[in-house]
Amino acid sequence: MNKLIWFTTSAILFLVFLFPAVLAFGIKLIPNGDQPGYISDQRLGVYGIRDISQKFTSEKANLSAIGTSVRNPNLQNKKDITLTLFDEKMNIVRTTTINGRNVEDGNFIKFVFDPIPDSKNKTYIFTLASPDAGPGETIEIFYIENDRPGQTMPSWIVEYTYDKKVHNGGLPITLYFKPVSKMDVIKEIYGDLFLRLLSNR
Amino acid sequence: MKKLLVLAIILRLLVAGFLFHPDIKTIDFQASFLKKGVFNIYTYLVENKKSLTLKDDFVYFPLTYFSLGGYQWVASPFLGKGFDSWLADAGSSTVVENPNIFRYLIVLKLPYLVLDILIAFLLMQFFEIKEDKRKAFVFWLFNPFTIIIIYAFSNIDIFSVVLTILSFLMIKKEKLFSASLLLGLASGFKLYPLLFIPFLFLAGRNLKEKIILSITPLITFGIIILPFISKAFFQSALVSGLTTGIFTSDFATLALSLLFFYAALFDKKINLLNYWISMFLIIFSFALFHIQWLLWVAPFLVILSVKKPEYSWLLFLFGIIAFAIPALFQDRYMTISLFRIYSVWFDMLPTPFTFIQKVYDPVNIQTVFHSILAAGSLVMTYKIFKEDE
Repeated sequence: MNKLIWFTTSAILFLVFLFPAVLAFGIKLIPNGDQPGYISDQRLGVYGIRDISQKFTSEKANLSAIGTSVRNPNLQNKKDITLTLFDEKMNIVRTTTINGRNVEDGNFIKFVFDPIPDSKNKTYIFTLASPDAGPGETIEIFYIENDRPGQTMPSWIVEYTYDKKVHNGGLPITLYFKPVSKMDVIKEIYGDLFLRLLSNR
Repeated sequence: MKKLLVLAIILRLLVAGFLFHPDIKTIDFQASFLKKGVFNIYTYLVENKKSLTLKDDFVYFPLTYFSLGGYQWVASPFLGKGFDSWLADAGSSTVVENPNIFRYLIVLKLPYLVLDILIAFLLMQFFEIKEDKRKAFVFWLFNPFTIIIIYAFSNIDIFSVVLTILSFLMIKKEKLFSASLLLGLASGFKLYPLLFIPFLFLAGRNLKEKIILSITPLITFGIIILPFISKAFFQSALVSGLTTGIFTSDFATLALSLLFFYAALFDKKINLLNYWISMFLIIFSFALFHIQWLLWVAPFLVILSVKKPEYSWLLFLFGIIAFAIPALFQDRYMTISLFRIYSVWFDMLPTPFTFIQKVYDPVNIQTVFHSILAAGSLVMTYKIFKEDE
């Protein structure tokens, strides 16, 4: 019986106090927050030369991925979908490609690339295109236009370009950053937890 | 004993405050309508679905609504002003990042703690020898499984579990009518105790008693649900997957029927506790069970472990396997997402299902575990009856 008491006490204490730290070791990318909300029937088609560009500001260093929701009804697009990332002077910074076969309709898709160490507070533009796709292989991207009533994007999502026209707002994207070190992730997780415990009113 | 009790309570409060399954928020959001004067939660939720932030149906039975809603009304002063807006918050991150979540969870799980400790004391009543009483107390309070099931998964089945234990205490005292009444009352929270009616029928000493014992739970259950009978009630609770899930497996129905016919045709002196335990061992062997269901049988396995200590390690092994099966579901809230209070960054981690999928089919592993659990459970069922002979 004493063994059981010791085992369960240790197991529960480990689970509550240490296991989250163990989990934290597995975190390879940190998101900048929740994906902004979007309107499900407000979408733009992307195929062939019809692409979409998004201007945004990276608030942290080590930008490593950009994620957004993509519609691909009946997996009709089986061609390459390319995200090209430019700096403000339109120099290509990173390029990443996924295949439409891996894009299930409406799924949140993450475009992962090598980390950009000096991305903090810099403005970037990415273009999303599926150059080999025909009209029957269109993928659809959700968007929010800040100038429309009741529609707002966070300020770091600056503007988007579609059909050569520029609009305020844009795609409901989430940015991902590579953590500086595992220990920093653990410190930040426990630090934030501790702060919330203290601010419990 | 007092020191052990304090330690047991501390462990429970830690899990209650730091591990979060969204079911507790959904159920308590629904139960919060009692303090606003809503009596029939089933029709209310269906009729107001469009305007509600959480759109789930109320899948439990009326006594759950009144118990949780009533408790929330009493506990309101401890929950504070922001509690109702937290309940109604549909945001995935804002809910777990709310600094008051620790208090909300501990207050909401307090009734579970009271019932959980009550179970420890009720289990002691099944034994005469002091050492056995102490074993039952420790086995219940210090097995890791029920702590996780009750406090991490916020298992409201504990209401019906307490009533089923009381029912078996009545059976021990040979008060079969009270036992069947308590099983009916327990089904007012969750339907599963009604599965035992065929065995209650067999336990009756004559036809009149057999009929009374099998009708009493049904009438009790009928009285509880009578004011709520409606299309909404049928669809939300009575035929929901949570209620009918056991019968989605043909094998479970077959094996339960076999158990009944064995009792009816071969067993001359029916030991109801053996049938109760066997019934659940069979269900968990063949049905795709929710992890919360394991609580239905847990206290009775403690009784079995004390009576037959040689089964303890085997039952502990069964517990690990039974936990591993649902942990391999592609459901984040079975594992990693229970820790979202610590950080929503854990959303970036793969589930055990996704992780294992890289090297092997996790469904196959689930099947292997389920087969091992089934084999072990069936052999144990056989042994329990054989030893009684």
